[in-house]
Amino acid sequence: MLEQIKDWIHRRLSGATALHDFDNLPKPATAASQPLATTRLIVLDLETTGLNPAKDEVIAIGAVAIDAMKIPFDDQFDLILRRPELDISETVLIHGIGNEALTRGHETEDALLHLLEWMDGDPVFAFHAAFDQKFLEKTLKQTLGYSQSHLWLDVADILPAFFPNAETGGTRLDNWSDYFGLEVSERHHAAADALATAELMLICLNKALKSGVNTLSELNDKLRYYRRLKTIQRL
Amino acid sequence: MAAAADTSRPQNTRAIMTFLREHAPFSSMDDSHLALFAEHATLQFHADGDVVLAPEDGPVQRFYVVKQGRIRGERESGRDGKTETTFEISQGECFPLAALIGERPTRTLHRAAGDTFSLSIGHKDFVTLLSASDPFRDFCLRGVSSLLDQVNQRIQSGAMASIGSSNSLDTPLERYALRNPIVCTPDLPVRKAVARMHENSVGSIIITDDQRHPTGIFTLRDLRTMVAEEKASLDTPVSQVMTPDPCCLNARQDAFQAAMLMAEYHFAHICVVDEEGELIGVVSERDLFSLQRVDLVHLARTIGTAPHLRTLVSLRTQVSRLVDSMLAHGADSGQVVKIITTLNDVTVRRVLELNIKKNDPGIPFTWLTFGSEGRQEQTLLTDQDNGILFRSPDGMTPDQVRERLLPFAETVNKELAECGFTLCKGNIMASNPKLCLSEHEWDDWFIRFIDASTPQNLVYSSIFLDMRAVFGPMEPLHALLERVLGRIRKNALFQKMLAGNALQRKPPLTMFRNFRYAPDGEKHTLDLKRQGLAPFVETVRVFALANGVEAANTLERMDELARKGIFDAKDANAWKEAYSLIQAIRMRAHQEMLERDEPLSNYINPDDLNPLDRRILRESFRQAQRIQQKLELAYQL
Repeated sequence: MLEQIKDWIHRRLSGATALHDFDNLPKPATAASQPLATTRLIVLDLETTGLNPAKDEVIAIGAVAIDAMKIPFDDQFDLILRRPELDISETVLIHGIGNEALTRGHETEDALLHLLEWMDGDPVFAFHAAFDQKFLEKTLKQTLGYSQSHLWLDVADILPAFFPNAETGGTRLDNWSDYFGLEVSERHHAAADALATAELMLICLNKALKSGVNTLSELNDKLRYYRRLKTIQRL
Repeated sequence: MAAAADTSRPQNTRAIMTFLREHAPFSSMDDSHLALFAEHATLQFHADGDVVLAPEDGPVQRFYVVKQGRIRGERESGRDGKTETTFEISQGECFPLAALIGERPTRTLHRAAGDTFSLSIGHKDFVTLLSASDPFRDFCLRGVSSLLDQVNQRIQSGAMASIGSSNSLDTPLERYALRNPIVCTPDLPVRKAVARMHENSVGSIIITDDQRHPTGIFTLRDLRTMVAEEKASLDTPVSQVMTPDPCCLNARQDAFQAAMLMAEYHFAHICVVDEEGELIGVVSERDLFSLQRVDLVHLARTIGTAPHLRTLVSLRTQVSRLVDSMLAHGADSGQVVKIITTLNDVTVRRVLELNIKKNDPGIPFTWLTFGSEGRQEQTLLTDQDNGILFRSPDGMTPDQVRERLLPFAETVNKELAECGFTLCKGNIMASNPKLCLSEHEWDDWFIRFIDASTPQNLVYSSIFLDMRAVFGPMEPLHALLERVLGRIRKNALFQKMLAGNALQRKPPLTMFRNFRYAPDGEKHTLDLKRQGLAPFVETVRVFALANGVEAANTLERMDELARKGIFDAKDANAWKEAYSLIQAIRMRAHQEMLERDEPLSNYINPDDLNPLDRRILRESFRQAQRIQQKLELAYQL
């Protein structure tokens, strides 16, 4: 994957137009009988200029893959987008991406195309996935006119579904990371957060296989059941 | 890629490199090699109890590093089918080296102990790293022993900074004594023998029989005495003026043993012989030390012949300097404590001799030492534990003997204190009437000691059951010891109580293999003596006493127990190594305290250690747990 990025940077620098095949972008997968033990999954985290998908923008994308229950570090995605026009004054303190980095970042269009190719249509996991999904889908639509929906699953739901009795003291990524004693190398760095989320997913997948949840659709069912249970409990 | 700024690497790659850099062998590897590892690594999760690697998985395909958590090695132990933990691998440690390099399946089941994350690279990347990185190759091919080397190297280089050249005392004697020794027959006149020495410019000549067995040695010093005292003419056969039965060592024994003999008996030359006892060379003090400037023999001789107490006092600072230089020259901790003990013995003997010269009590006695001095395990921090064993001359009661010996002993205790042996707070000293006893009284004393087995007595066992004579006739002590050992062997209850007492001091590890800090010291400190060494010393003592091992030294006791088949040879080695490493870390701490002019203490903060030492200390404590488990099993405690 690093080789690919280098290639791609090289192509950009040498002035050639991106060689992405717009018509043949990978088709998103649906939740079917893919076995969790062997499937490739994407775990993704975005840094944005704010919390409102209607007006804020994506500035960094970090993602790792889980392939056959392992995280291979030669298959990851870690890019800052080039968007010097954006106002980042509100959030620069959180993610530490300043104007200079944004100017040096990568062309948005190219980066997104590259992301789609790298994701290869695989299901996407994120912590509080709705947030990342809205931002990414909006950005994909605005920039590339791409409107196919990936399968998104929320790690913030998966965790309590498998560990209902965990006393985490909260529902945030930090709470769960602390609960499992994970070390997050740099909080609010998209790639580091994505890795922490992926580590939590490894723990969930291990538990899933032991409790008879073997496929993506079974996982999806388990989540649906869990959400319904929570709604009932709230009533 | 290597030349690019570090920010050019993805955040997660950088994070893995940062993690690796904190652990050996990665800490000594180049960044480009760490990047190679990080970029090709795979992160995996193993829940508590999951099998990570198993013998039936076939040849090992990946090289693993524990990123978080622990991995336990399991082996089924014989008949009862119970599993036994053979090793534990914690954060930053690697596995499975031997199987991966041997391209075979692992022989031990590797299981996660607690939730664990591992980083791993494939066989191909492993081989690439192996050929690219020297520290990595060195580590993988030599396994943990290269870790131990790193510790020793560090201990040595610390001491080295103040000294210079290096030459290991582990070198076998054959390497020193290669040249042809100058020999002659017993009937050769002294004049001719000296001429032969002169021709070859050597200071000694060995007198051999027909089979080339050394029967005597004649040195320039002997010549000087002979001429000065006009004892004999130069035409006398050399056999009449030689020193008979010269000290011989086998060629495979090392320089350290030669140095110890020289220091103890003040020899300047030692014959080196082969398996058949035939002479193959001579080593002199100069051969051993000319390159090294380690003045052990000279120092021992100066102490042993010091004319006044004040000379002895002034020589003590040189002992500390010597310890520094011994560490620098590759002496291991076992060697260094023995050297300290040897020099202490010489000092004690000299203090006694000087006092006898001044004020002879007129009654022969054996000077006993107890505890760490008895075990020959003294470090620079030492206090006096001694006593007197005497045979009452005819017509004298023990009380009358004591009347003469006690004032003498009191002066000796006081003078030893001036030489740096702190007075014993518990009054375990020869000037205490309860410890200045006749043979019969000591016998009674031990009978009461063993039969009563009060808690107080058990506490004293670490002192009085590690006993040695440093001055006076040895035979009375030997006879006493034999009787004491016999009684303990027959007294199963006493053994069991000793064992229970030995288990009071637990190695400072928590259930989760973290350090358990000392209850009485400063925050976050470990007591290396009480928490680290004592579990070994006390456990080994019980086994030694129960099995008739007379040696008092812990390492010698372990050797002897292994020879008797009480300890498995591999276990004994692991325990000796663990014990020595704790001792080495303790001694280095002492040297550092001396440099900073701080009072010596046995407390250290493990956070002050580098990760490698911390890891080794933890593994050593785990070995202490194992030896205690053996004791628990033996006495069903």
